[in-house]
Amino acid sequence: MPRQALQTFTQGTVRGIRKETPDTFTLLLDLGDGRTPDDFLPGQFNMLYVFGVGEVPISVASSRGEKLLMHTVRSVGAVTNLLIRLSVGGKVGLRGPFGRGWPVAEAEGKQLLVIAGGLGLPPLRPVIEEAVAKPGRFAEVKVLYGARTQTDLIYTHEYSRWQAANGCNLLLTVDRGTGDWRGNVGVVTTLFPMAGVDPGRAIAFICGPELMLKFSILGLVKIGVPPERIFISLERNMNCASGICGHCQLGPFFICRDGPVFSYSKVRDFFPKEGV
Amino acid sequence: MYFTAAKGSVPRFILNLQHQGFTLIGPSLSEGVIRLRELRGAEDLASGVVDIQGPGSYVLGGESASMFASVNGPDSPKTYLHPAEVELSKHVDKGSGIELVSAFHSGGKYAFFGIRPCDLRGVRIMDRTMLMPGFEDLVYSTLRDDSIFIVVNCTKAGENCFCASMGTGPTAESGYDVAVTELPEKLLFDVPEKSMDMFQGIALKAATEEELREAEEMVRHAREQMGRRIREKDPARQMYAALDSPVWGEAAERCLACGNCTMVCPTCFCNTIIYRTDLRDGSVSRVRVWDSCLSKDFAYSAGGNPRQQRRARYRQFVMHKFAYWRDEFGTYGCVGCGRCITWCPVGIDITETVNGVLKDRQDAAKKMEAPRVA
Repeated sequence: MPRQALQTFTQGTVRGIRKETPDTFTLLLDLGDGRTPDDFLPGQFNMLYVFGVGEVPISVASSRGEKLLMHTVRSVGAVTNLLIRLSVGGKVGLRGPFGRGWPVAEAEGKQLLVIAGGLGLPPLRPVIEEAVAKPGRFAEVKVLYGARTQTDLIYTHEYSRWQAANGCNLLLTVDRGTGDWRGNVGVVTTLFPMAGVDPGRAIAFICGPELMLKFSILGLVKIGVPPERIFISLERNMNCASGICGHCQLGPFFICRDGPVFSYSKVRDFFPKEGV
Repeated sequence: MYFTAAKGSVPRFILNLQHQGFTLIGPSLSEGVIRLRELRGAEDLASGVVDIQGPGSYVLGGESASMFASVNGPDSPKTYLHPAEVELSKHVDKGSGIELVSAFHSGGKYAFFGIRPCDLRGVRIMDRTMLMPGFEDLVYSTLRDDSIFIVVNCTKAGENCFCASMGTGPTAESGYDVAVTELPEKLLFDVPEKSMDMFQGIALKAATEEELREAEEMVRHAREQMGRRIREKDPARQMYAALDSPVWGEAAERCLACGNCTMVCPTCFCNTIIYRTDLRDGSVSRVRVWDSCLSKDFAYSAGGNPRQQRRARYRQFVMHKFAYWRDEFGTYGCVGCGRCITWCPVGIDITETVNGVLKDRQDAAKKMEAPRVA
């Protein structure tokens, strides 16, 4: 990234808005600077800027080949509360892309386990979309996705398309069964026995809350998946996104620059660890 | 090339640099403290002013015949190269889109005059953070590229100094434009070829063997006089192994989490962006200000606050300097200047913490090795 670009931002125009859950929205952006989703790798993130208010780090949810850049945002703070109030035609500032994403090439020919909790799904969506677009690239694709309740599941309109793809298997779970939910109830690790994990050729991409990451890692290690083939996307306070503000440090790593995706073997001394 | 010149040559030297377009920054008496401030002339130098430092204490006292009599104050070159507050850019919302009004530009070039070897090393450490290939910071690189450094080797150690054990002083080994050692009656200059033009109109004499030996002797005195040290040369591996040491908690008990240590540290770079709105024209400035890992919300994000406990934040500060930094930037983050000890309101001594943690680790390792009685 040229040094000038760290200080400036692109202005994206909102072309579409989709309500995922009562507090979570997907924004579809046209960058207007000639860049397309092809310029953003799976697992990377952008800093979205609401003029005069602030920036938030949001994962790239669009896949290479799509027309509009996709970001899924849950309203939890000052900036995200304003982001979800944008309407079509509205403007949003953007810096990025930042960070190192999922090692998709490394997963080729392997059993790919995509494990997501809650809003951990958006950064994994481009991985799923690439698997759907090119069946056979991975030996098998198992998507294990958990949310609090049925109404917290996002991207529901895409599930049938994902399921229909060759070699792609979607397993869902919710923490609490509500309404007409007839599926699995329990945390995402309760799906592991149903997933038919083959530790010898499995590679896992995991994103979700820290507790979910922790138990997913423990579960996978227990059934014999080596730490080098477990990849996690970590969340910290990303502020400058270029390794000079210090906020996102985890031990000797800057999550924004060295991550957000790490192999578990690389960070295991510092994650999960209290107070680091 | 080593030369000597009379102490009286300093005004001319300063003038020469001013004629070259530099703003001189050097130790100057201000509000009862020696700050790094603009030197309009040699008369602004805190010549002969002695600083007496201790844990949580800094007083000026006594007179000295020495021109560079003080050790250091709360400022380091960081104050100028990575300012506590800097406007990165200003934008205005035109309705049809956001337009750039102005962006950071440098106001001049600095000649740091009379800084200490530890601070020069501090700049070189900060270079690695702020000029990392691919992530160069525009503000720092602009200010840094235009700066020159006239470093003064230490012939006296301050109460809180421990540069000798960090390998960062009391003499500057490289990276300076001119290095000075103050002898009793004259100044000894180490002048690289590129800096010869700074000495126009100054009578330089080639330094004699005896003068070089005298300077060496004075620096050796400073080294030996240093009461504080870090007990390991390369402590990172042991520090990592001691993340759970109870010593962290003991030091953190006293920590107020005020952040003074990070403000006065010559290498602490952490910062945040604030958005300053001007009601008159609706413009918004992106302003970068220093931040501190000791602040409660420093690591806070939507996912939680990983360092809610003060103990965790104090450990982060020390672990960063003495372990993480080495793996992030290939060097330690501490130069042994002692400022964090001096300016800590409760006088927490970082050497005590690090040595305590290291000792605890070594004791624990010994216990592990001890043969078991069957």
